[in-house]
Amino acid sequence: MRASAARNLPALLLGLREEGFSGTVRVAGTPGGTIHLRDGLVGAIETPGAPTATSTLLTSGRIGDEDWLAACAAQRGADLLGERLVADGLVGAAELEVVCAAAVFDAAFALSLGAPGSWELGDPEPALLARPGVEPRQLTAETTRRISLLSRLWGPPGELVRVRPVPGMGVVEGPLSGRHEDILNQVNGRRTARDIAFALGRGLYAVTLDLIRMQTLGFLRWETPTVPGGRPSTAPRVTPGRTPAAGPPPVPSRTEPLPRRTPRGGEKGGK
Amino acid sequence: MSTAVEASLARFLDSPGVTGVALVDAVTGLTYGVAGDTAEAGDGSESSEFAALVAERLGRAGAEGELESVVTTSLRRHQVLVTVGRPAGDPLLLTAGLDRARVNLALAARSMGDLAGEVLA
Repeated sequence: MRASAARNLPALLLGLREEGFSGTVRVAGTPGGTIHLRDGLVGAIETPGAPTATSTLLTSGRIGDEDWLAACAAQRGADLLGERLVADGLVGAAELEVVCAAAVFDAAFALSLGAPGSWELGDPEPALLARPGVEPRQLTAETTRRISLLSRLWGPPGELVRVRPVPGMGVVEGPLSGRHEDILNQVNGRRTARDIAFALGRGLYAVTLDLIRMQTLGFLRWETPTVPGGRPSTAPRVTPGRTPAAGPPPVPSRTEPLPRRTPRGGEKGGK
Repeated sequence: MSTAVEASLARFLDSPGVTGVALVDAVTGLTYGVAGDTAEAGDGSESSEFAALVAERLGRAGAEGELESVVTTSLRRHQVLVTVGRPAGDPLLLTAGLDRARVNLALAARSMGDLAGEVLA
């Protein structure tokens, strides 16, 4: 199929499905990304807009770093890495399917939030794949459903993922679940939904839904962006559990001097 | 879509009266797999929204802890939602349709609760 013949990305994926195409589709734009296809089915999508299955498994602690590296070393071909993880007993086959499928749908949602860019087709590249893969038609339908739901609940999803929530100050209705508490620990007025998703190893769409629900319950409120359409967030990713208790972001004092590095040459090498 | 998930779900159909069962993401509503009658298992997004609504209302009413299950009964069938906890990651829901004429609800609910812990194995 001529990549330039398709009128948009969903149409391209449908055409590639009919052809049984195996390879990659590199999508330009913001966030852009790479779509991995096997026999026309979407096996994985890598985009800076949402965590991949690998990121989800590692950040959440579901698989330890050392176990992951050992599995990668034992199985050179990343296409078969999933089978290796299951064979080593690091994750169940059904659970791996769930994680990989969730990552595909989430990345498609993240891709849909940016301005459509150009694309180009390429050869297959190794990736941790959802098995057997997601039908492009199903991917488009689910992404449309997500966009519609967020639009109904909040407004334009593209703006929603750019706002930076701050902890709520009013009366809170109901108890806080563990999932919501994890989010609240990340909310500091600087992080967007995307930042929180990466920090927790959760899906962007799931985090966005939780943020809306938490805002409704009074756990947080929205910090309206001061510069409409500003640059993407570059807030640092923080490992869960290392963030101090939620609170308003510190206001820098103009009277205090900047901190100075103290030379510690005598302690070089540590204890 | 998911062979390992669907194979795991198929075990639920061995229980008498279970007509359809699905594994659904409790947060996003995405359906990961279905066994049996898809319509009987219920729509994933509707099930997740309903379970979230019930959990929220129970929380406001003072209930503590995570939602375990929801049973909705109509003239001919039961719709059962069972929360599936995970070692890491967002919770899942097992959604099942049960035929009232053939099922013992107490036994079916217990069986689903027992099997829920093994569905991701």
